[in-house]
Amino acid sequence: MNAEEKMSRRDELEALLPFYLNGTLTGADLEAVEAWLESDPDAMAALAEAEMELAETGAANEAIRPPADALSRFSNALEQKGGPERAGASEPWFTNAWHRIAGLPAGVGWAVAAAAIAIVLLQAVSGGVFQKNNYRVAGVHQDMSKEPFALVVFKPDAKMAGIAAFLSANGASIIGGPTAGGVFRIAIAAKTVEEYDRIVTLIANQPFADKVSPGRRPANDS
Amino acid sequence: MTAAADPRSDRALVGKVAAGDRAAVRLLFMRHHARVYRFVARQMGSDAMADDIANEVFLELWRQAPKFEGRSEVSTWLLGIARFKTLSALRKKRRESPLDEDGAASVADDADTPEVTAMKDDKAAALRRCVDALSEEHRSVVDLAYYHGKAISEIAAILSIPEATVKTRMFYARKKLGEALKAAGHDRGWP
Repeated sequence: MNAEEKMSRRDELEALLPFYLNGTLTGADLEAVEAWLESDPDAMAALAEAEMELAETGAANEAIRPPADALSRFSNALEQKGGPERAGASEPWFTNAWHRIAGLPAGVGWAVAAAAIAIVLLQAVSGGVFQKNNYRVAGVHQDMSKEPFALVVFKPDAKMAGIAAFLSANGASIIGGPTAGGVFRIAIAAKTVEEYDRIVTLIANQPFADKVSPGRRPANDS
Repeated sequence: MTAAADPRSDRALVGKVAAGDRAAVRLLFMRHHARVYRFVARQMGSDAMADDIANEVFLELWRQAPKFEGRSEVSTWLLGIARFKTLSALRKKRRESPLDEDGAASVADDADTPEVTAMKDDKAAALRRCVDALSEEHRSVVDLAYYHGKAISEIAAILSIPEATVKTRMFYARKKLGEALKAAGHDRGWP
């Protein structure tokens, strides 16, 4: 091996040192570098130089500080430019849709929710989703024509998540709406007039409620 | 637990992103943003543009996640997207302000060369300046190997160049570093 060839080999091995240091070198390249390190006294000095390059390249990169508010601005960009939502794989699409509209203002969110429920019902009728009563969508009651209900208009800035949590905790659920005036029909799971009045009064006192009008009361009212 | 089975692994999170999970894309953002941002900033030379491009990289992750085939590490995929977007931005910048490069060159002529500046520092600081002063194509290879820990094949994929070119660029990058250090009074014996 002449001097020129020896230098070429040294150059090649020097080019591989960064990959030896970062642990990604494999196969013949790894064997060649390790053989060089074992046999050539200059090799360990070369490795020390490469280690210094690694340290200073790291320091040069770490000196660049990303903006502190990067995540919040990315989240905003994601909402604005991220395009339409995709259906989730781990949860049923209806659950995902519910989670998404839960963060919307009530005026928008409930309209979307109502549309989603309508689609489910349409699919149930046309596609036979509900068979032998073995599947039930939360909030869709089987005999809505006799269900006690109240009519509610939500404040424009009310959030779906808060409303849904409250209604669920008090045995109430959205079963219709909104009308052009933003009126929603809320099923009230009450067996007595007293219970019905208590729940409707409770709804009316919530910060998300703009207007509440009693609708059909439980059967013992008549 | 293998990486593929770990629900917190990058690949598993990309799968969740593909399924529409916005929390997963935010988690990937938190894991990888700093490195992507630095990779872009080193090439762009502009923090403001790096910020926009880094955001675009993660928006692209959101859009392209269903197409991710898992043939590379997620970090390699992200750096590849970052590289593509950075080059596009640089081309656009050059089209819009072709005089910028001339202006930058004239300013550089009045400043110390990396070698002269390096003489004023100790060896470590001199080396850092020399790395910063490398050409973009050489510095990218150095950054990707030393800072991002990428293999030759991964760098080839990120930069869209053959693996042999990665080795050649690394050789010339390190050779220039040695020469610059030597000129600054820090001879290290090679080249």
